[in-house]
Amino acid sequence: MADSRESWKNEDEEEEEELDEASYIAQKDAVLFAIDVSSSMLAAPPASDARNSETDSPTVAAIKCAYQIMQQRIISSPKDMMGVLLYGTEQSKFHDEDGTTRGNNPYPHCYLLSDLNVPSAEDVKALKAIVEDEDEANSLLVPTDEQISMSNLLFCANQIFTTRAPNFGSRRLFIITDKDDPHSSDKQARSQATVRAKDLYDLGVVIELFPISHPDHDFDRSKFYDDIIYRDPIEGSDLALGPTTLKSSGSGISLLSSLIADINSKQVAKRALFSNLPFEIGPGFRISVKGYNLLQKQAPARSCYVWLDGEKPQIAVGTTSRLDADSGKDVQKAEIKKAYKFGGAQVLFTPEEQKELKSYGSPILRIIGFKPQNMLPFWASVKKSTFIYPSEDDYVGSTRVFAALWKKLLKDKKMGIAWYVARNNATPLLVAILPSQERFEEGPGSTQVIPAGLWLYPIPFADDIRSLPELPAPVVAPDELIDEMRKIVQQLQLPKARYDPSKYPNPSLQWHYKILQAMALEEDVPESPDDKTIPKYRQINNRAGEFINNWGKILAESTKVLKTMKHELDDDDVGPPAKKVKVKAQSLEDMSVDEVKKAARDNGLTKHTVTDLKHWLASKGLSTAGKKTDLLERIEQWAENS
Amino acid sequence: MEAGKQAHVYIVDQGSTTAECHSGRVESDLDWSLKYVYDKIATVLAANRTTLSVGVLGLRTDESENSLYNDDDGPEDESYQHIAVHKELGPITLSDLGSLQEKLVPSQTEAGDAVSAIVVAIEMVNKFTTLGTGKPAKSGRKIVLVTDGQGYIDNTDPNNLDQIALRCNELGIELIVLGIDFDDLDYGFKEEDKSEQKRENEALLKSLTDQCNKGTIATLIEAIDNLGVPEIKSVRPYKAFGGRLALGDYEKYPETALYIDVLRYTKTKKASAPSASSFVNNKSASNGSSSNTLGDTDMPDAPGDLSAVKSHYLYQVNDPNYPLGKRDVDRDDLAKGYEYGRTAVHISAAEENVTKMDTYEGFSIIGFVPSESFERYLVMGESCMTVAQSVNEKAVVALSSLIHALHELDSYAVARIVLKDMKEPKIILLAPVIEPDFEGLADVPLPFAEDVRMYRFPPLDRVVTTSGATVSQHRYLPSDELTDAMEDYVDAMDLSTFGKGEDGEPIEYMTMEETYSPTVHRINAAIRNRAIYPDEPIKPPPEVVMKWANPPADLITNAASQLKRLQKVADVKKVEAKKKGKRFNREQITPLSGLDIDALLDTNTTQAISSENSIPEFRQALGRTTSEAEILSTTKQMGAIIRKLVKESVGEASYARALENLRVMREEMVDLDMPEIYNDFVKALKKALLGGELDSNNGGEGKVFWVDVKRGKLGLIDQSTTDGSNVTAEEASEFYSSK
Repeated sequence: MADSRESWKNEDEEEEEELDEASYIAQKDAVLFAIDVSSSMLAAPPASDARNSETDSPTVAAIKCAYQIMQQRIISSPKDMMGVLLYGTEQSKFHDEDGTTRGNNPYPHCYLLSDLNVPSAEDVKALKAIVEDEDEANSLLVPTDEQISMSNLLFCANQIFTTRAPNFGSRRLFIITDKDDPHSSDKQARSQATVRAKDLYDLGVVIELFPISHPDHDFDRSKFYDDIIYRDPIEGSDLALGPTTLKSSGSGISLLSSLIADINSKQVAKRALFSNLPFEIGPGFRISVKGYNLLQKQAPARSCYVWLDGEKPQIAVGTTSRLDADSGKDVQKAEIKKAYKFGGAQVLFTPEEQKELKSYGSPILRIIGFKPQNMLPFWASVKKSTFIYPSEDDYVGSTRVFAALWKKLLKDKKMGIAWYVARNNATPLLVAILPSQERFEEGPGSTQVIPAGLWLYPIPFADDIRSLPELPAPVVAPDELIDEMRKIVQQLQLPKARYDPSKYPNPSLQWHYKILQAMALEEDVPESPDDKTIPKYRQINNRAGEFINNWGKILAESTKVLKTMKHELDDDDVGPPAKKVKVKAQSLEDMSVDEVKKAARDNGLTKHTVTDLKHWLASKGLSTAGKKTDLLERIEQWAENS
Repeated sequence: MEAGKQAHVYIVDQGSTTAECHSGRVESDLDWSLKYVYDKIATVLAANRTTLSVGVLGLRTDESENSLYNDDDGPEDESYQHIAVHKELGPITLSDLGSLQEKLVPSQTEAGDAVSAIVVAIEMVNKFTTLGTGKPAKSGRKIVLVTDGQGYIDNTDPNNLDQIALRCNELGIELIVLGIDFDDLDYGFKEEDKSEQKRENEALLKSLTDQCNKGTIATLIEAIDNLGVPEIKSVRPYKAFGGRLALGDYEKYPETALYIDVLRYTKTKKASAPSASSFVNNKSASNGSSSNTLGDTDMPDAPGDLSAVKSHYLYQVNDPNYPLGKRDVDRDDLAKGYEYGRTAVHISAAEENVTKMDTYEGFSIIGFVPSESFERYLVMGESCMTVAQSVNEKAVVALSSLIHALHELDSYAVARIVLKDMKEPKIILLAPVIEPDFEGLADVPLPFAEDVRMYRFPPLDRVVTTSGATVSQHRYLPSDELTDAMEDYVDAMDLSTFGKGEDGEPIEYMTMEETYSPTVHRINAAIRNRAIYPDEPIKPPPEVVMKWANPPADLITNAASQLKRLQKVADVKKVEAKKKGKRFNREQITPLSGLDIDALLDTNTTQAISSENSIPEFRQALGRTTSEAEILSTTKQMGAIIRKLVKESVGEASYARALENLRVMREEMVDLDMPEIYNDFVKALKKALLGGELDSNNGGEGKVFWVDVKRGKLGLIDQSTTDGSNVTAEEASEFYSSK
């Protein structure tokens, strides 16, 4: 890789981090979409008056979904495989490379639209053709009149996984269908299918069902699919999620978007960062948890070297060897000693000593105690958090204890403080254990956006905190100015009053792959990126323009006052030169009780900042809750009563 | 470490009395004081800054060697006898430390005046920190005297001390006296049976330091105890952005948009331990005699008989016309490009930046959110702090209004920031910070859509059954009693008031300022220790780091009853280590419906395992076995399939599949605790692979497959994996060597 020299240089520092990610990514994922093509799956949804009413049939929606997911996976998991298999089609097609198509197709009415592999530009193109070209779609999406054999489909998938992704740690078959009882009348065929499903289970393939219900028919899993689907062994005996059902209807949220949302939530194989980490609630009291990496900064893949002298451009695979700089001989990893520069010389450690220096005992998450969440300053952040969830594998009863802790932390807005060693030889961290409340996407789909659980939030060490330069004491803005700014802030709330990451795709990442895709598919390069992070200037102008204008005027006015004040102060020869410009009133705490009372009577308190008011209230043992007006009222009341 | 230039002189008392051990210590007084001095020198070495100068003076040395004793012209001044300059003021290196260690040993004499040594040190500092112009340089000045207080100090002229203190104050020198077993009632140390001489000296030195503006006298134990407190590397403030914080488009709507001139500084940054470089023993060089002559400073990076390790890159492409289908290519013949899935996209040099989005430096608010909607576990990393440009009053007041408005509304701002033209946009969340002497906006990075990959997890407050029903009472859910016990325990383990302030008032325990990065300080401590005492083994992590690895003992004692109750109510049971050898009564696995699939399988005929569906059929066949002989014969069938796959492979095409079959075979044999079946097979397989028996006619080489087996760690099953094995871990690792 072009950047590998750079990365080699920093390897020692990154080693730790990379190990973290590497073990996680090592478990590669292969997903095969099996999409049902039948007359009911090809039927357009019933007409509707609703705006944006959908016109896609379930099959087309599923193919569109696969197309989108394929493009997403190229960006998010470039080493993972994906394939698309249509079944129930008039036509049949299997691997076309090693001559398996010769003679009879072994899997009639199975059409392998895109073989299971790391997607190529051609695969994207093939899906795109069907999605965008109706003729192409119409010629391929012709259902057969014959009875479809589910056992045949399952064995076809079995063979695709066996040959294409034999050693992938995660292999999943996504079945998208509206038929809840494909073999209602054929008992024999039905039991053959269940046997083939058991084969897939033994092979290590997990079946995910995306059932589609029609307005006049609810999909019933118990009719057939409960005999086909097994509990995911990775989940062990832990809690299970309720099933979801997708509806093809003409109203509200479209089938495609709910399908995408549902597939997306299962798209990434649920890979644990660690399993069965002991979680020590107190000395001698442990439960076990699994950890998940739910946040992962996505960046464009590094550039690579391409060999252009062959028939097709090819990526050159680089391997690194380490050489003795003097003799040029190959060096084995075990021979390498590490040295640190120190006082102009090198201080040496053997590999064993290096290892010992990294060891802090076996992995553990150990509670040191608890604090209120507000003791963690806003800026105290250094690294993304890790999600943890209980596991019954090592300690039976872990889930209920975990749930009790979660409940308590959530209720009292507390956090655990813990010592955390994620793996053998991992750097120990101090973490805040923060609870998350389960949250769903608004709307009828109600997909879970944030799961209920605990997060390990790394707390900065003293070494991680940087100092700011010397700054002059602040000049607090006059209240009028703050009041005007408050109006602006109130006008410009984000939709639903929260930052929703899903609304903000990373513009540079998207642009990078959009250009690559256009180049790979030999299409025109788009002209300008779609950057959702750019503020909505027109909206800001419309909603808050007037207040901003006002604010500007007040600001100009108050700075003029400031200038003259400063000028006067500068002219003042008596006493030491004033370093600070004071516009703020004398702080309440510096005032005598009578002065405060007087100010309260004369409306002189409004000049004071909220902080000042709060400080004063706190010093009198009064509540500091509420807005400025509340605070003022409280002080006035105090002045009257005392 | 103090910033800027520094000139520090250490005076080490090495009189013959310092060879003794006192107060129950097993090390000599000199070694004990050197522990302090070397640690301070090591700190300087670690900082690797040329602006830090160190000088070392020996007191009560056998020899007399200093500028006041043997001045160029005058006669030798007896009052400066037995004081020797071991190292002049100047930068210090590790080799200086080596020569100091040779010199700093107890002498044969008791003579030598500590106050005279201070005078010598003052002159050293004065000379070193005076500029050519005669003016004092901007520098820190410090003298540290470490003494056992046993030597005679001439105090015949009491004015003398006043003069010395005056000189220190004139020059701005900080004078620190550290006495071995000096009394310090505040620190709780008193030496019994103190000699009269020492008592007088302690008093005398105290009166000297008292007269100095920056004078300190302390007992050495206190200084040694403080060595454990790590120094934090101070880093100059880093400006991460300087420019306009905008709200609205001020170019398009000059009247109805605003901007504030701001500076944004790094607030947190993960500190990293020093990085090591790689070396290898260079045997050829140690044979040659000339390569390491003294004074060979051209190779500072290669210590002794070591040579640096460099990396070499080899690039290969697939080409069927070459052996094994791989062709080596030269990097110069390669073009740059990117991967789009498995398609290579070539990018010509002229188009190098084509995938980069055009962006312009800027900082702009997108909108505002209430602070309670902020889910802080979604934060992506390090924080910054934005302040107004300080000379710009308009900006100061403008930013202040935003800070206070956000504070009053309990709101945060979401903003887009581009640090420099052509850099990628980031989204950050800004929060108001109002302190008595500070106002600013703290910010943390927020995730983009692609950065969040939520898996779905079952809820923790209810259980959803497979049929979709919701249950609120379940063994996975806490009972009211458990909820209650947990509440009590969490409350009892509160740290927010567990700490003790200066006046004993309750304060927060374990603040960020007290917690030190374990890696940084452990590695640093190890490097220092190795540099000073090269023969000592690696020590356990420093106490100051491990302090936070366990809850404080007092807290645990306080919460003991709550914990006991919690444990009782929780009724958590450890799962016994996996029961092995579940040979003939394996747990039956059924689909969600519970249907008995095995009953549907054709169990009457013992079918041969097919190659195409080998893994499921092998597992199912094992599940049906009722005798060890059957297990053996079933595994043999699998073995034949593996050999066949390798033998008939086109190139390496079937190797991955064969490997997966092998992996499953190994896994099943471990589960059944029948390691010998697998071990026998893999031994024979290795022999066949290396003997060329399984080389295919289509370009596959058994040796290559063997490398895959090694990499997959699919060798012998040893005792650490399963009890039934008679293979030791050594034998198992020996097996991987290709013999």
